[in-house]
Amino acid sequence: MIKLKNITKIYEVSKNDKITALHNINLTVQEGELIVLKGASGSGKSTILSLIAALSKPTSGEVIVDDKQISKLPDNFASRYRRDNIGFIFQKYNLLPTLSVRDNILLPLVPLNPHAKEVEEKIQRVMKRFQIEHKENVIVRNLSGGEQQRVAIARANVNNPKIIIADEPTANLDENLSHHFIEIVKELRALGKTIIIATHDPLFFGFADREIEIHKGKIVL
Amino acid sequence: MKNKINIYLIEYAINAILRQRFKSFFIVTVFTLLTFLLTSVFFITNSLRYELETTVDALPQIIVQKIKAGRHYDIDTAVVDDILGISGVNDAVARVWGYYYFENAGVNFSVVGIDRYEKQYKNSFTKLVENFDFDDINGTSTMLIGSGVKRTMQSSYYKEYFNFIKPDGSLKKVQIAGIFDAETELESNDMIIISKDLFREIFDIQESKATDIVVKVANPQEIATVVSKIKLLFPDTRIITNQDLKVSYQNIFDYKSGIFLALFVVALFTFFIIIYDKSSGLTSEEKREIGILKALGWTVDDVLKEKFYEAFLLSFFSYSFGIGLALAYVYIFGAPLLRNIFVGYSQLKTSFELPFVFDFQTLFLVFFLSVPIYIAATLIPSWKVATLEADEVIR
Repeated sequence: MIKLKNITKIYEVSKNDKITALHNINLTVQEGELIVLKGASGSGKSTILSLIAALSKPTSGEVIVDDKQISKLPDNFASRYRRDNIGFIFQKYNLLPTLSVRDNILLPLVPLNPHAKEVEEKIQRVMKRFQIEHKENVIVRNLSGGEQQRVAIARANVNNPKIIIADEPTANLDENLSHHFIEIVKELRALGKTIIIATHDPLFFGFADREIEIHKGKIVL
Repeated sequence: MKNKINIYLIEYAINAILRQRFKSFFIVTVFTLLTFLLTSVFFITNSLRYELETTVDALPQIIVQKIKAGRHYDIDTAVVDDILGISGVNDAVARVWGYYYFENAGVNFSVVGIDRYEKQYKNSFTKLVENFDFDDINGTSTMLIGSGVKRTMQSSYYKEYFNFIKPDGSLKKVQIAGIFDAETELESNDMIIISKDLFREIFDIQESKATDIVVKVANPQEIATVVSKIKLLFPDTRIITNQDLKVSYQNIFDYKSGIFLALFVVALFTFFIIIYDKSSGLTSEEKREIGILKALGWTVDDVLKEKFYEAFLLSFFSYSFGIGLALAYVYIFGAPLLRNIFVGYSQLKTSFELPFVFDFQTLFLVFFLSVPIYIAATLIPSWKVATLEADEVIR
């Protein structure tokens, strides 16, 4: 279970320029739940995702995941938490463009230093599941947008995380590919994963367990 | 079970070097050149220092020269008997030697006359007298030449004999009886040994004259006293001790080392400019990559380990390559260009090979001046970025 308690996040652009991204947010996400955070650009959706993934710390308030307060974790522990629990699909995929598909998917496994056999099994499993195995050795910058997204999804799932976070996953996709992504999300949901998607794409509305609207850093509905 | 060394991190580091191939190539080139330059200079100076020390150690304790109006003239051999009468003097030998200019090659040979029945003033000459039949040499006008002289003569097609031009303009044909290797390359390089009689004929020196007199003192502590006694007996002489020669050689060597010290400073300065540039920050791509890795669960330690491998592989490869090039340049190719700066009189000397002197201190010095500094310059900016919030770096 994920709990956000009285979360406020202020970004300090300069000494005299501060942006309040979130105002006293309270949110609970149950295990296995599919949540859609909707709202206009700059509303604070991505900031919520970033806090749940421990990519940043709240200015005040607490983020609790499975009864552990992750908002106050030291940096190295936050990295381990991400490695073990979170699969993050970024808006612009955040792949390393000069690496191959295989090497990009391998990245979350590198710090674990697993046996070669285990690595091979995990990589082949996700590449098959997300239909990218035929591009295994292709350099990522030579892939289409849809293929790049599948690599990003495979990478997010290679460690078999409990929580999948997706930030505007269809922002760079056409309608066909967006529908394909929704099918993938349904598959992940069937596997019992907790899924949080930040989007303003209406395609996602209707099939999530809950839709939460964010407006100017506050939960509206 | 977990492997101790994370092979995936090393693979990633190698991949990172190859991905930035132009940047890596530039760094390897500059790093290798600097290592090569510094190590070559150290190798040359080590070899020459070894030559210098060996040569100076083999020098006579005291040399007495006749001086007229400040110029060196031949000395009477009778002076030897007077010097032998000075208490504390162990031995005194009249030497005949001189430089013979070989115009074809544009070099000077050091020609030394020796007599097998005399006590030799150098151990190496005693060995030569024992190993070669000097009667035959004397009878047929023959000579022993250093290996460097052989090379020079052969390049001018003198393979079995050599024609000396005497002061009256006539030629003196001398057979090459053998080749010798002296204690030092510098010495064997330009030396010709002939009998004293032949020497007097070629250089036109009277029987009663010698080039100088070398004096051996039983107790080295008494050299100064003996020098003052000789000076008192023969005020028209210049007396040179091996200590004077050592200082003189050292001064020349230090002067040339100074030139290289300047080069060394320039090389280091260039290296530190690169280091400063590298340590002053990462490109936005490099920052973003660290942010992505952290977002994927890499800890600061993982990032720094990977950067360490990257910097170590790059710098150690360049270092090793530079050392290898320097070894080949100095000891196989004889350090063309650089050597001429040290051996400034090379125009008048036959060429010689630098003796192989392998000094681990030199290798450690160059290593510590380069590899750890480069690694630190890579790790510091990476650490600065890796300790920021991943979200901040990616944004």
